[in-house]
Amino acid sequence: MALGTVLDPTARSTDDISAPGPDAGPLAGKTVGFRLDEIWRAWDWIVESWGEAFQQQGAAVKVWRSHQGRTGAAGERVAAELDAFLDSIDIAVVGLANCGSCTGWTVRDALAAADKGLPTTAVCTEVFQELAQNLAARGGRSGLRLHVLPYPLNEKEHDEVTAVARSHVEGLLHTMGCTTGELKEASG
Amino acid sequence: MMRTISQNTVKTQKSVDLRDCGPEGCDIDWLSSRRHETEIDDVMAFTEFATALGWGDGLPVIPPTESRVREFLNRNNRYADEQICILPPADGECTVEKIAINAVMAGAPAESLPLLIATMEAIADPDFELFGLNTTTAPVLPLAVVNGPVRDLLDIPYQHGCLGGARTRATAIGRAIRLLIRNVGGQEANVTSQTTFGSPGRIGGILFAEWEERSPWPPFAERRGVNGDAVSVYGTMGTQNIIDTTSTRGQEFLEMIGKSLGYPGANGYSPAMPFAEMMVAINPVWAEIIHRDVPRLEDVQELIWKHAAIDADRLLPKHREQLEAQDRIVGGKAYVTVEPKDVLIVCCGGTGGLHATGFHSFGSCLTQTRALVPGPDHTDPQAPAKS
Repeated sequence: MALGTVLDPTARSTDDISAPGPDAGPLAGKTVGFRLDEIWRAWDWIVESWGEAFQQQGAAVKVWRSHQGRTGAAGERVAAELDAFLDSIDIAVVGLANCGSCTGWTVRDALAAADKGLPTTAVCTEVFQELAQNLAARGGRSGLRLHVLPYPLNEKEHDEVTAVARSHVEGLLHTMGCTTGELKEASG
Repeated sequence: MMRTISQNTVKTQKSVDLRDCGPEGCDIDWLSSRRHETEIDDVMAFTEFATALGWGDGLPVIPPTESRVREFLNRNNRYADEQICILPPADGECTVEKIAINAVMAGAPAESLPLLIATMEAIADPDFELFGLNTTTAPVLPLAVVNGPVRDLLDIPYQHGCLGGARTRATAIGRAIRLLIRNVGGQEANVTSQTTFGSPGRIGGILFAEWEERSPWPPFAERRGVNGDAVSVYGTMGTQNIIDTTSTRGQEFLEMIGKSLGYPGANGYSPAMPFAEMMVAINPVWAEIIHRDVPRLEDVQELIWKHAAIDADRLLPKHREQLEAQDRIVGGKAYVTVEPKDVLIVCCGGTGGLHATGFHSFGSCLTQTRALVPGPDHTDPQAPAKS
């Protein structure tokens, strides 16, 4: 046995923001921005249901649909659209982390929103929760708010997905840091 | 005294004291990585140590001792602290030092450093979308095709068994690329990567060269604007064999290749991917026949592209509707790439012929090509003087 020194082959970043960022607070009078994608129709249905619930709380709802391919000229256009979208909202709800690369991009876009100082919540399904947490931590924000939906989700029919959305409104508002009164009203 | 070195491969140049002394000189310790004390003579004991720390791939690794890493760097006359790129998803700083450490662990020769640097530069290009590639449920990995005289210097295979199985130092170089993606990029199955099945290629990589001397077409990198020693990276889902023991004419081979590539479950037809490329490796026997009958490369690409299209009727209604919403059904057909030019042709493989290989792409990773740039020659009068 001979001991000696070896050099570490890794290059892990040590910077981290463990705080969740600002609370969404009262929804009334604010614009909640939902980030959609081109893959998960279930996410469209979830946002449809949540959007209605938020509007009942006096919020305006805005949606932006991302493309997963972020390269070339199309990628530059998507990045510019995302930037403009984030500048036009007060609260960001970003999804859906329901596959590997779309979890990656959900987290990336959520981090972009959080870096702008927006109250930000990323939405994932159960299977991709750990990946989302890992990517958020490696992106320097281990405290990123994450709301978890059941899995499988996209394999369900429209009415089943809507039922899931309704049953998650209270939990989502809690994750977002909305006020207690709104939680009661929304879930009531 | 402050000096800045100037090298083509340096993305972010740093000013560092006393560059005058060269990579080996002065009292500066250019190696800034954290040191670990461990067993270094017993490879198996070290592998156990490394695996426990999350390094490596589970196969035996060579201890990256300071002396091994310094020797690797000195033979290339490179500064360890040059930052080459940032690798996602960990956003690790990929320096020459990290490349050298991982290359030593993989058993790659020191002469491979320029190839490894160029490969890292290529995969880190934002248009390659390494972030999506490293995190996806797909089995995708960066394939690397080498052109130029460096093929023979590094023993990069381009004949029999070039995609795997040939006994060559390229296996270790390919593994070094993989270790860098793991250790610096942070790709780890079920941690940052959700790859459902993974791929054998995620161990040793897919690293091969073109058989330029037998290819009827200009070298792949040259077609992409880079002459001489170069590497091109392409995000592949793996290899798909295409056998044809019947065709005799170029058009027939191309039709057989194209039709074999078209299947609904390929990523190129996925609504998640707005576009894709499609690489095809053609053996030199078929390449000669194809070139005889279809002289223009553009026509070769178009024939494959045309035959790779699938009838929209083959798709389930739910799938077809998604593609229709994206305007990707044209004339009743779904095309695996948007345009024929996105069909990428390389010539390699054994003289037995009979097979082509299709490399379905992940989708949004755009192929990148980089020139290999060696470190400054020790005798180069323009190089920084040494003490």
